Amino acid sequence: MDNNDKPVLIDMQHVVKVFPPDVVALNDVSVDFRQGEIHAIVGENGAGKSTLMKILYAMENMNAGEIFYNAKPVHFQSTGDAIANGIGMVHQEILLIPEYSIWENVVLGLEPTRGFGKLDEKKAIADVLEKIDEFGFHLDPLALVKDISVAAQQKVEILKLLYRNVSVLIMDEPTAVLTPQEIPQLFDELRRLRDNGHTILFISHHLDEVLDLSDRITVLQKGKMIGTVTSKSTSKKELARMMVGREVIFSSIRKPCQHGDTVFEARNICYRDEDKVERLKDINFTVSSGEIVGIAGVEGNGQFELVNTIMGLITPQSGSIFVQGKDITEEPILERRKLLSYVSQDRKTMGSSASAPISENMIMTHHKLEKRFQKWNGLVLNFHEVTKFAEEIRKRFSVNMGAPGAPFQSLSGGNQQKVILGRELSLSSPFVLLDQPTRGLDVGSIEYVHEQILGMRDQQRAILMLSSDLDELFRIADRLLVLYRGKIVADLITGKTTINEIGYLMLEGTIHEN
Amino acid sequence: MNVIIGLINGMITGATPILLAALGGTMTYYAGIFNIAMEGMMLGGAFFAVLGSYYFESWVVGILFAILGSLLMALIFILFSVKLKTDEFVTGVALNLFALGATTYMLRQIFGVKGAFASPGIVPIPDIDIPLLEDIPVLGQILSGHNLLVYVGLIATILCHYLIYKTRFGLRLRAAGYNTNCLDTSGVRSDRIRTISVILCGIFCGLAGSFLSLGYVTLFSENMSAGKGWISLAAIILVNGNPWGIALISLIFGFSDGLGLLLQQYLPSQFTSMVPYIATLIALYVYSSRKKKEKFS
Amino acid sequence: MKTKFINGVLGIVIALMLGAIVMWIQGYAPFETYTALFNYSLGSFYSFTTMLRNSVPLILTGLSASVAFASGPVNLGQPGQFLMGALLATIGGLYLDLPPILMIPILILLAMLGGALWSGLAGLMRLWFKMDEFITTLMLNMIADFFTYWAISYPLFDKEAYSPMTPAINPNGWLPEFGNFNTNIIVMILAFIAVWFISKKTVAGYEWRIAGQNSLFARLGGCEIDKNYLKVMLLTGALAGLAGGLVVMAGPHRFLKGLGANYAWDGVMIAMVANNGILATLLYGLFFSILQTGALGMELITDVPREFIMVIQAVIVLVVVAGRGYFNILMDKIAVRRKAKEGLE
Repeated sequence: MDNNDKPVLIDMQHVVKVFPPDVVALNDVSVDFRQGEIHAIVGENGAGKSTLMKILYAMENMNAGEIFYNAKPVHFQSTGDAIANGIGMVHQEILLIPEYSIWENVVLGLEPTRGFGKLDEKKAIADVLEKIDEFGFHLDPLALVKDISVAAQQKVEILKLLYRNVSVLIMDEPTAVLTPQEIPQLFDELRRLRDNGHTILFISHHLDEVLDLSDRITVLQKGKMIGTVTSKSTSKKELARMMVGREVIFSSIRKPCQHGDTVFEARNICYRDEDKVERLKDINFTVSSGEIVGIAGVEGNGQFELVNTIMGLITPQSGSIFVQGKDITEEPILERRKLLSYVSQDRKTMGSSASAPISENMIMTHHKLEKRFQKWNGLVLNFHEVTKFAEEIRKRFSVNMGAPGAPFQSLSGGNQQKVILGRELSLSSPFVLLDQPTRGLDVGSIEYVHEQILGMRDQQRAILMLSSDLDELFRIADRLLVLYRGKIVADLITGKTTINEIGYLMLEGTIHEN
Repeated sequence: MNVIIGLINGMITGATPILLAALGGTMTYYAGIFNIAMEGMMLGGAFFAVLGSYYFESWVVGILFAILGSLLMALIFILFSVKLKTDEFVTGVALNLFALGATTYMLRQIFGVKGAFASPGIVPIPDIDIPLLEDIPVLGQILSGHNLLVYVGLIATILCHYLIYKTRFGLRLRAAGYNTNCLDTSGVRSDRIRTISVILCGIFCGLAGSFLSLGYVTLFSENMSAGKGWISLAAIILVNGNPWGIALISLIFGFSDGLGLLLQQYLPSQFTSMVPYIATLIALYVYSSRKKKEKFS
Repeated sequence: MKTKFINGVLGIVIALMLGAIVMWIQGYAPFETYTALFNYSLGSFYSFTTMLRNSVPLILTGLSASVAFASGPVNLGQPGQFLMGALLATIGGLYLDLPPILMIPILILLAMLGGALWSGLAGLMRLWFKMDEFITTLMLNMIADFFTYWAISYPLFDKEAYSPMTPAINPNGWLPEFGNFNTNIIVMILAFIAVWFISKKTVAGYEWRIAGQNSLFARLGGCEIDKNYLKVMLLTGALAGLAGGLVVMAGPHRFLKGLGANYAWDGVMIAMVANNGILATLLYGLFFSILQTGALGMELITDVPREFIMVIQAVIVLVVVAGRGYFNILMDKIAVRRKAKEGLE
């Protein structure tokens, strides 16, 4: 479909955004969106895609620039203002209230009432049902949001906007939380909306889906506008070059691996949570030295519990965990840390202390296990050694940092991750647990992290990596396990399976459906 | 029999200030505000209640003044914690101390006394006899003849339940507590909801304060809230903010209050005064161990 | 460091100005009032040493709260721990008879023990029963208040007194005084150095600080959270208890009713304005002592009731803390505007 003839609906001109203190997120970006098109905004992490859309949606204010809507200059005061003018956004993280039902979530902020401010429950449910039918969404308005799948929650978000008669839909990486099989369904719905006259702005960094879905594509790179192209006249290769400014090779960098002895073993692990829901069901697997085992799965299928069981944050009702033959199932965390390195999925809440000095973030765990950091019988910290160690890590992992005494939060995301990796990899542990080690990093940093992981494998360490990025798993893992509803449903050699097959396993728990 | 009726009446009286303050606190609890300023709001209310009642010779003005005094505290809370985004805990602690300092200061400045101000000129809030009900033996003695604010507390419980669970405001209020971003992106200013919740809390704490100084006793003394604001916070946490749950917990605390009075025949008064605080610890213990059991069974 | 200092001074000035306006409205002379206030706390050797003596319980309870807050536990039990420390030191002082060189250290240790027992109780309730120390310490405050009230009204009551108090403790347990200079200051400085060293230099202090900022990180890093929690509770209780003991040993030499009332929440307030910094706690503790000591003079000279200082203190806390947050936002805004203007080549 050629839509060069469609009228321009939104025109953003010379947009500038600076985050405190001096991070330039958007540097003079100008872009236009046409009525009734699907327009993708692509770029690496940190390119400014979300920021640009949040400015349009009035969630962030811009430091300079103008926005024209229907050829009139507009300045929305709040997101409510933007919605009232027909512009709505579905965020990357689901912004719903899990404890509320679907209808309550949809009508929140625009509730029908009777006298005395009483909610008109009947009317609300009827209205929501009407919208559900109109757009063919197959949702039960009375279901609680916490009980439905992520894909369904995303539909509720869209429904919430449609209930407000929004004509411009901004979608921030909607596919990030979906399985490969759920994506086409979403795309069908989006196309239907476009054909109904809605305009859809779509943020992504997956080039295949962008080419598949969108009419036009705008590329941002490090806060700068690179250009807008029509999907028909471009290719994945060209887009990739525009995104990163260089050729990118999409290929596995695995080398054939040299298996050693079994280092890690999980035996018959079962775990039920507080609500007595079975989160882990009879988990059995091993990781050998010199091997990278990847765990794939849709989030919420037991990854969290598995990691916490290994780390000792929760105790399984039955089963055992062994590292180098030692049963650590009931050991305190300190004992475990003598045997395992751990890179957590969330740098902020689990992997660091933001306001503490960089050096003090680096010596965590080391300060307990290595005598050189202690004096006076282990009572006092040896700060001379701490500074020396910080310097070592800075050099070995090429961390771009100021003084070791500067707060950890003064580092960029990539450098923070380098510090964490540096800390964990310089522990002399035989087993390494990596939980989403590249989440939120840019392409350059991801490559670096992957190299480090492969380097560890060459040191004959046993590595277990959980990731929601299938490309990443296929790139470096030797073996892939799939977690589905707390069970390991497949144990496959990476070279002998396909992304599609893993996708089915993640979604259905089996490949023999259909 | 009379002992039991006395105990029950003591329980109801003791429960009322905690109930009223906790109903206020539950508004901010649902709005996701860590509000520990009930103590200060109550104290401010108690002082202004005496001020209004004494100078205008009317308990109605007393209650109005109490609400205004407590609202003044609430407005300071809003200014700092909602507008300036100051830490809620710090704001709460500072506000409690501000209330303590300010009421003690005004006690000296306005009434020229230290410690406590009592005068026949302070008009207390009247007791209400309920027609017909008061004539029923035993039941009448228990249910009728209480202070007006006891009945206000009962009505307030019903209203709070309705407001929180049945109205548009309630839906938004709870949403503010669950996820502010969600509420903001739904086109509702969460700051406004929070502000309203603190104002409601101020009104309820004003009522609680006026009960302290015009109902329970007819005087104002320094720091007369004596930790009741903290106990009502505990009550809120124990029942996750449910108004009827709060009413029940308040009665239990009221009972421990009455029990303390009863025990005075056998124990030094210092020990009987400890009873409500020990009761809070026990309630917290029961709550925590119940939670623990749920977690690990 | 510099911005912290500016923020603190600015906050204090604003709070004092607000106070001046209130005084002015009520017909007092603000300038004379403040002059009297600072004269009575700094103007002479006598007033200066009195101010120093009064600062000891403020700084110690402030350190107690600062260390607790910076390490995670919300120990609000300083008033109760203070009273229990004072009570134990008093009991020691009443029943022991040793030469001062032994007596004084033993009473100090008893005071710390009393405070640590009371905070340890809250700590154990947390570790064994998962009861939040934030409420339990508050309830224990009230219980300690009534318990010590009973102790000085019955078993330890001074038969010759008209109001609840104990007899004077053995003079061997009195802290020596030189002129008006009380040696409680020296004990406080030693405690301050110890706290500073523990917090900044030791392995335990490192773990506490990290756990205070991000407890999950510390836990996953192998720090023994429960053990550290109990240690922090015991140390901070001991500090508050020490404050109580020193008040008895330096001042009235007996346990009077209402002994701790003046210091009830001051420690928590000081920790809050100091943002849990160790050195800042010392400085704000001194400043609060200047206000409280001078309040008496203020009342004598200009008739402004000394309770006014309680109001000023609360206003200082609010203005400084709110200012700190707001100051940072303001600095960010300025930086952003500059960057956006500078041209974005």
